[in-house]
Amino acid sequence: METTVPAIELRGICKYFGKIVANKNVNLIVEKGEILSILGENGSGKTTLMNMIAGIYQPDDGMIYINGQEASIHSPKDAFSYKIGMIHQHFKLIDVFSAAENIVLGIKEKGKYDLKKEKESIRTICDKYGFIIDLDKKIYSMSVSEKQTVEIVKVLYRGADILILDEPTAVLTPQETVKLFDVMRAMKKDGKSIVIITHKLNEVMEISDRVAVLRKGESVGSVLTKDTNPEELTALMVGKKVELNIDRSEPKNCEDRLIIRDLNCRNREGAKIISNVTFTAKSGEIFGIAGIAGSGQRELLESIAGLQKLESGEILYNDPESGKQENLRNKTPMQIRHLGVRLSFVPEDRLGMGLVGNMDIIDNVMLRSYRKGHSAFLRRKEPKTLAEKIIRDLEVVTPDAKTPVRRLSGGNVQKVLVGREIASAPKVLMVAYPVRGLDINSSYTIYNLLNEQKNGGASIIFVGEDLDVLIALCDRIMVICGGQVTGIVDARTTTKEEIGLLMTKTGGEEQ
Amino acid sequence: MKKTLKILALVLSLCMVIGCFAACDNTADDETLTDGNVVSDGNVATDGNATAGDAADDVALDYSNIKVGFIFLHAPTDSTYDKNFMNAVEEVQATLGLSDDQVIVMSDIAESEACYEAAMDLVDQGCNIVFGDSFGHEDYLIQAAQECPDVQFCHATGDSAKVENIPNFHNAFASIYEGRFVAGIVAGMKLNEMIENGEFTAEEAKMGYVGAFPYAEVISGYTSFYLGAKSVCPTVTMEVKYTNSWFDIDAERTQAIALIESGCKLISQHADSEGAPKACEEYGVPNVAYNVNTSDMGPTTALISSKINWAPYMTYMIDCVVKGEEIAADWCGGFNEGAVELTELNTAVAAEGTQEAIDAAIEAFKNGELHVYDTATFTVNGEVLTSYLADVQPDAAYEGDTEVIIDGYFAESEFRSAPYFNIIIDGITAVVEG
Amino acid sequence: MSHVAPHAEPLIRLSKRDAMPSWKGMLVRILGILLGVALSSLFIVLVTDLNPIEVFTSLFDGCFGTPRRIWNLFQNTAILLCISLAVTPAYKMKFWNIGAEGQVLMGAAATAACMIYFGNTINQWLLIPIMIVASLFAGMVWGMIPAFFKAYFNTNETLFTLMMNYVATQIVAFLITYWENPKGSNSVGVINAATKAGWFPYLFGKQYLVNIIVVVVLTAIMYIYLKYSKHGYEISVVGESENTARYIGINVKKVILRTMALSGALCGLAGLLLVAGSGHTVSTSTAGGRGFTAILVSWLAKFNPAVMTLTSFLIVFFERGAAQIATAFRMNESLADIITGIILFFIIGSEFFLNYKVNFRHKHKEVA
Repeated sequence: METTVPAIELRGICKYFGKIVANKNVNLIVEKGEILSILGENGSGKTTLMNMIAGIYQPDDGMIYINGQEASIHSPKDAFSYKIGMIHQHFKLIDVFSAAENIVLGIKEKGKYDLKKEKESIRTICDKYGFIIDLDKKIYSMSVSEKQTVEIVKVLYRGADILILDEPTAVLTPQETVKLFDVMRAMKKDGKSIVIITHKLNEVMEISDRVAVLRKGESVGSVLTKDTNPEELTALMVGKKVELNIDRSEPKNCEDRLIIRDLNCRNREGAKIISNVTFTAKSGEIFGIAGIAGSGQRELLESIAGLQKLESGEILYNDPESGKQENLRNKTPMQIRHLGVRLSFVPEDRLGMGLVGNMDIIDNVMLRSYRKGHSAFLRRKEPKTLAEKIIRDLEVVTPDAKTPVRRLSGGNVQKVLVGREIASAPKVLMVAYPVRGLDINSSYTIYNLLNEQKNGGASIIFVGEDLDVLIALCDRIMVICGGQVTGIVDARTTTKEEIGLLMTKTGGEEQ
Repeated sequence: MKKTLKILALVLSLCMVIGCFAACDNTADDETLTDGNVVSDGNVATDGNATAGDAADDVALDYSNIKVGFIFLHAPTDSTYDKNFMNAVEEVQATLGLSDDQVIVMSDIAESEACYEAAMDLVDQGCNIVFGDSFGHEDYLIQAAQECPDVQFCHATGDSAKVENIPNFHNAFASIYEGRFVAGIVAGMKLNEMIENGEFTAEEAKMGYVGAFPYAEVISGYTSFYLGAKSVCPTVTMEVKYTNSWFDIDAERTQAIALIESGCKLISQHADSEGAPKACEEYGVPNVAYNVNTSDMGPTTALISSKINWAPYMTYMIDCVVKGEEIAADWCGGFNEGAVELTELNTAVAAEGTQEAIDAAIEAFKNGELHVYDTATFTVNGEVLTSYLADVQPDAAYEGDTEVIIDGYFAESEFRSAPYFNIIIDGITAVVEG
Repeated sequence: MSHVAPHAEPLIRLSKRDAMPSWKGMLVRILGILLGVALSSLFIVLVTDLNPIEVFTSLFDGCFGTPRRIWNLFQNTAILLCISLAVTPAYKMKFWNIGAEGQVLMGAAATAACMIYFGNTINQWLLIPIMIVASLFAGMVWGMIPAFFKAYFNTNETLFTLMMNYVATQIVAFLITYWENPKGSNSVGVINAATKAGWFPYLFGKQYLVNIIVVVVLTAIMYIYLKYSKHGYEISVVGESENTARYIGINVKKVILRTMALSGALCGLAGLLLVAGSGHTVSTSTAGGRGFTAILVSWLAKFNPAVMTLTSFLIVFFERGAAQIATAFRMNESLADIITGIILFFIIGSEFFLNYKVNFRHKHKEVA
C-alpha cells in the first residue's frame, strides 16, 4: 500500500450559497487508515465540506483527489464508486423495512434478489467490526443508536473505504458513544479511513488520530491529536482564547414557583409520552432536564405552556405578586396569559414554533405583544424599539431590524427569540436546547442571560443535551427516560456517568 | 438531494417547452388546413357569384358594403352545433363572394353580457348584420339591438322577436320537425324490416330517444320523429330519456345504453355529441342522428340524420339588407327553402325502398300536403286533440295563449319559428329526471 | 500526474442567488416577456403563414382597439382582481381554497334570487343593500363550511373546497330550472330587463364603472388589512407556522374560520358584481373559471394586492387579446392560447432566474 498517497485530498475548495460563503479555499488531507476529526463551530462549513466529498453538493471551485486521482463527484452514487460513504445526521432509512432490507436497498446487481444470501454477507461485516444488530428488526422499532448502526453497516456493505460520520454522537448516550468508538477503532484497524465531524472536544481527544479545524469556512490547519489539548483546539476553532467556565451563583430566595404533580400525557397515536412526572421548579434556580432526545422533554415543556392536552396531573403556579396559586392544567396559552402568569418559553424548534422565519425581527418581536390595545391595527412602534434594543444588547448580527429572521444565522435567531422571551420579565422561563447550533460565543451569551434571569429571581427550566453544560450551569438536574423521571440529582455533586445511567434506565425510580 | 431536485425541475421545464412545441405543431397543422379551405372557397366564389346573383334576382346586388358578424356559443372545432353554423357561413361567404374582412366570426361567446359586448364590438367594427347562434344569446342581442337601430340583429332559435317588436331584431328557425318526421319514416321502415326478419314482434317495436331538456324544441322534435315512424309502423312506441345538457358525451352514452337495455330496438337523439351514435354502434342498434352525418361512427348502425342548413337564411338576411328590404321578424325555413335537409341515407343499414319513401315524403312536405302533427294520427290521454292553447308569446306566465289546432293539425312553427309543441302524446313515455 | 476526470462536470449548474435589486429584477422580467414574444413570433412564422407583427398588433387591438374594448378590459380585470383579492387571505394562511368558483357562484345565485323575488316589490335603494348582504352571506357560508371541517376535523380543504364547487354548480343548475325564462330553455335570461331593478347604476353612463371603483377600493382595503391590521398579522403567522400561532396563543380555529368567512364573502361580492354590475343573469358558467385563474394571479403577485392589479391585468390582457387573434385570423383560440402559454411560461420562468444563478462549466486551472 502506498502510504504516501492520501485517501482524499482537497485543494482550494470553495462553496457559496448566494452571498454566504460556506467554504473558502479549503485544503484538507485524509490519510489512509486514520481517524480524522473535523472540528469547528456550527456554521463553520464542516458539513458542507463533507457533503461535497459525498456528492451532495459540487464545489464551486477547487479540486478533489481520491487516491491521488482527480475526481469529480456529482452524486452519492459517484461517491460510492470512489468507495466513499457518508452517515448523515438525519438518517435516511425506510421505516417499514427491516435492517437488512434497508442495507441492500438500491444496490443494482445482476441475478436474483436473495435476501438470505445478502444477510449472510451483512453478518460477516457485522462480526468483523463488532456491530450488534438484529437484521430482521424493522427500523421504526429501533432506537437511534441502532438506526445509526444500520446506516454504518449500509455504507460498509457498499464497500466504502472512506467513511464520513456527521456528528454521530449527538444523539447517543455516553455508553452508546463508547460502543461506537470501539467499532470505529475496529474499522480503522481494517485500513478504513474515517472522518468524524464533531464539536465535542473530549471526543476529539479520545478517538481521533488527527484533527483538522475549520473556522468560518476556511481551514485553519490540522494537528496530531497527541500533540494538542482542548484549550489549543478551542483557540484554533474560535480564533481567540475563550473562558470556558460558567459563572454559577448559589440559588437565592428559593420559593416553590411551579409545582408539577403526576403529569400524564399521550401523543396523537395514543402512546404514552409523559407518565407520572412530578417535580417542583423553584425561583432563583436553574432546573435542568436531561435525557436522550425524544424522551418527553418537549411534551413536558409544551404541557406547561398550554400546548399539550393532558391526561391527568396538576400544573400549579405560585404567583409571587398576588400570592395566589393557579392551576394551569389544560389551559390555552391565552388563558394562561390572562391569569397573569408570567411564563416565557423558548421552544427547541425556533423557526417552527418560537419565531416566524419569513417575518422580520420587528414582526417577530411583536408576536407576544401585538394584541395590546383595542385598535384593529398594529402598532409597530414599541416592537421596533424593543427589536432594536435586542439587536444592540445581545449583539445580533443583522443588516437591520427589517431583515427576515430566516436570513439570520442560528445563533442570531436564538438571540432574537431569547431576547423577546426575556423582555417580558418572566417569572418562569423555560428553554429547550437553547444553544443547539450556536457557536461558543453565542452559547455563552445565552448562558449568561439565563444566569442573569436566575439572579433576578426567575425560575429557569433548562432542557439540554450537553451533559457538561448541564452539570456546569444548573443547580438541580432532573433526568427523564421514556417519559418517566428516573432521578433528580444535585448538579454540583453528580457525574456524567451517573446521569448517563439514569438516561437509559427504563422503568423509572419506583420500580 | 436539492441538486437532483433542481435538475429534475429543469428537465421537466424543458419537457414542457418541447411538449408545448409538439402540441403546437399538431394544432397548427389543423389550423392551416381549415384556413386553406376558407381561402380556396372564397377564391372560387368571388368570380362566380356576381352573375349567378344577377340571374336569380334580376338585380345586380352589390355586396361590397356588407359586413356580417357572427357570434357562436362554442368554437366550431369543439361543437357540432356551432360547426353546422360555421359550414353555412363558409358556404354563404363563398357563394356571395364576401371577403374575409366582411365576415367576422367570434366564437366561444358565453350566454352572458359577453354576448352583448361581442355584439357591440361587432357593431364598432362596422357590421351591418349581427347573427347569434344560441338561444341564450337572445336577451343580449335584444339589448344591443335597442342601442343600435341601424344594425340588423338576427338570432337563431329564439322566440322573442314578434313580442318585443324591435324592427331590427329578428328570429329564425327551420321546420326541422319535418326533417325529423322523414327520419322517423326511415326508422319505422327499419323496424318493419326487423319485425319481418323475426327479430322481435310488432308489439315489441320500441324506440329510444335521448333528449337534451324537456323543452318544446326537444319535445316537438321527438314527437315528429315518433309520428314519422308510426306512419309506417303503427305499433311502435317510444321511450325518452333526458340528459339535461346540450352537450354531454358521457350522459348521452349512458342514457342511450340504458334505453337499449330497457328493450329499445332503435335509438335517436337530440343532443350534440357522438355519445349515443357510438353506443349504438357498440350494441349493434340502429341509430338516427341529428345535424351531422354519423355513418363513419356507426357504419353498421347509422341510418340517416336530419339537419338544419342555415345558409338559406343567412343569404336571405344579407340579401334583404343589400336590397334595403325588411328582414322577416320571424323566419322559418323548410324543405322548400333548403333549410331542412337529410343527410345521405346509409343504404347498408336502411331497409329496402327507404330512399323512395324519403323522396315521396319530402315532396309531400314541399307541396304542403303533409302535416306532421295531424291530429288524426295521434291521441293524447286516449283522446283526439281538438284544441290546444300553446305558449307562443314569451312571457313570465308560461301559459298557453294561442289556439294552434287549425284544420285538423297542430300548426307548429306557424305562429313563431321556434317550436312550441310540448305535449307528450300517447305511445311516448318521457321520464323527467332531476 | 495524469489528468483523469472520470466524471465530467455538468455543463450547467444551478446555484441559489441573493435577492437582487428590484430594478434588476424588473429588467429580468421584462427580458423574459420579450423572449416569450420572440419565441411566439418564431412559432407563428414557423407553423402559420401569418405575420407575427400583425398577430401582436391584433393582440393589442383586442384590448385597446376601441373605447368599448378598453372598458371590457378593465371590467374583466376588475372581476378577476376581485376574486384574486378574495382568495388571497386564505392562501396567505396556507388554506388551499380552490373553491372560489363555487363561492362566487353562490354569491351570484343569492344576488339573482334577490333580484328575481324582490325586484318588483322593493325599492331599488333598499334592494341593492339586500343584494349586497345576501351575496356576501352566501359566499361566506360556502367558504366557512370547508373551513369549519378543516378547523375542527382537520379535513383536507383542497378536496373539500373542490367538491363544494360541484355542489354549488348543481345548486345553480337546480335554481335555473326554477327561474328559467322561457320555460325549458335552461337559461335565466336577463333578469328584470324591463325594470332594471337591482341593476347597478351606470355611473357617468358607463356600465362597469361601479364595478371598477368597488374593486379599486377593495384592493386598497385588502392591502391595508393584510399589512397593517392585527387580523392580517394573525393570518401571516398561522400561514407561516401553525405551531408558532398556537405557541403565542392565537386561536387557530378562529382565525381559519374568520379568514375563510372573509374570503368567501369577497367571492360572494364578486358574484354580486358579476350579476348586478354586468351580466344581469346567472348560469353555471357565471364564474367562468376565474376562481381558478385567481389563484394564479394571487401567487404570481406573491399575495401583494398592489402587484395583483398588474398580474390580473396581464392575464386578462392576454385573454382578451387572444380572443381577438382568434377572431381576426379565424383561427380557433388554440393559437392564441399557445402564444399566451409561451409568454406566461417565460414570465414564470423569469421568477426562477431571479432565485437561481446558472453557472456554465468552466475550465479549471491546470494542476501540475
